[in-house]
Amino acid sequence: MLRWIVWRDLTLAWRRRADILSTVFFFIIVVSLFPLGIGPETQLLRSIAPGVIWVAALLASMLSLSRLFANDLQDGTLEQLLLTPQPLFLVVLGKVLAHWIVSEIPLVLIAPLVGLQFDIPGETLFILVVSLLVGTPVLSLIGSVGAALTLGLRGGGVLISILVLPLYIPALIFGAGAVEASIIGASPAPHLYLLGAFAIVSLIFSPWATAAALRISLE
Amino acid sequence: MNLYKYASPTSFYPLAGKLIPWFAIPSAILFAVGMYVGFFIAPTDFQQGDAYRIIFIHVPAAWMGMFLYVLMAIYAGIGWAFNARLASMMASAIAITGAMFTLLSLVTGALWGKPTWGTYWAWDARMTSTLILLFLYIGFISLQSAIDDTRRADRAGAVLALVGVINVPIIYFSVQWWNTLHQGASIRILGKPTIAAPMLAAMLIILAACWLYSVAVVLMRLRCIILEREQNASRFAEVNA
Amino acid sequence: MNWPDLSMGGYGFYVWGSYIFALVLIIWEVVSLKQRKRTLRQQQHAQRSSSVSPSVLTGSANETTS
Repeated sequence: MLRWIVWRDLTLAWRRRADILSTVFFFIIVVSLFPLGIGPETQLLRSIAPGVIWVAALLASMLSLSRLFANDLQDGTLEQLLLTPQPLFLVVLGKVLAHWIVSEIPLVLIAPLVGLQFDIPGETLFILVVSLLVGTPVLSLIGSVGAALTLGLRGGGVLISILVLPLYIPALIFGAGAVEASIIGASPAPHLYLLGAFAIVSLIFSPWATAAALRISLE
Repeated sequence: MNLYKYASPTSFYPLAGKLIPWFAIPSAILFAVGMYVGFFIAPTDFQQGDAYRIIFIHVPAAWMGMFLYVLMAIYAGIGWAFNARLASMMASAIAITGAMFTLLSLVTGALWGKPTWGTYWAWDARMTSTLILLFLYIGFISLQSAIDDTRRADRAGAVLALVGVINVPIIYFSVQWWNTLHQGASIRILGKPTIAAPMLAAMLIILAACWLYSVAVVLMRLRCIILEREQNASRFAEVNA
Repeated sequence: MNWPDLSMGGYGFYVWGSYIFALVLIIWEVVSLKQRKRTLRQQQHAQRSSSVSPSVLTGSANETTS
């Protein structure tokens, strides 16, 4: 069931490739705005880079979240999924995994290019990719709770952002912290471990909360 | 006496109305007593002069913001788990009051920060966590106002509040971590000065006053919510009769 | 009763500002709740009187006014 859900979502996403690309473009544009707003001084850019890149990743994730359940709601698939004997949290897990592959992995892959814009040294670029790799599942997991709660509501993307962005803050702190540690020469390991722990906690609790929220939203 | 009948909003409504003055009046008295102790009995602080007197309202406000969030989550959880309408209404009634205490804590904290450490806003762990708590309140209130169906609003709020309550310790820890890392840039509050008895007394008296005030105000708001839902229900019944 | 230094050692703006802001919040909360209640009561009365009328018009047996 899990494999089927993931495969189905991946296929559907492939048919709407433009959506994936628009998330990536948004990420690149937002990151590029900061030097334009702040100034090209290399030292300054290097110091703000971890935070800027991570925040841009958060915002780009927000955009893709509303699509997580909305399309299935529209064509009636979501109601069918709720009726299957399979545990709902497995369905949720599958959709979240597909969302991560489709919306977050491209960001992880583009991140080194974006990091070069901020003159981040090579080894740090690697840590940047690792931090995003460990942290982006959190974005999909916690984001899915927000997407499920706001299903079909007027507020749209802004409402999801209000609900979910405060909950992302630990991931932001540890993720950006890891990159920054690497830049100043300290060990990024403690940050990455904490980020990993937060990711595991999210993995355990979020699908259950999302499943409950889906039932509530569809009654 | 059968207490269970009060679980119904319509029977609780008159009881709430009778209870309000029993909380409102003692609250006002305790506020006055607390202010008296804080301003007339507590001495001027050695380090901070008279500016420290802000803590008599700042600290109780911060604690109330946190207590009320937990209480809100508990009521929301009970309402969801036991399908108890009144408990869910309580959660919704608490939200705005909790948010206001949190806002008060932020503003008074800023006004305390300026004379004491030189800036209105120092990104220390406590203030930053309080700001995030305000965001969590705003999220809860926004979600409930975006949903028209009251049952869905109650339950969705419960999920959000419970997720928030679990996250709050994690957020607090991560903000503390963040703060200790960036020590150079921020200003640290170097431990608590030893608190003289009258200062502690004033804070606790005002905290008690805040609790009583919260009960009174939440009951007032609860009555409004009960009326609103009753009206919507009868309008719905009229239309569908 | 020994009066404290009302200027708060020069910090009057911060100290009194805090308490005045608290007072403003309290007053706002209580006043807006009272208003909300009043509006709801008025709506409730309007609703009650409008739902009484149909039965009056159709001459129901419960009519007590003539």
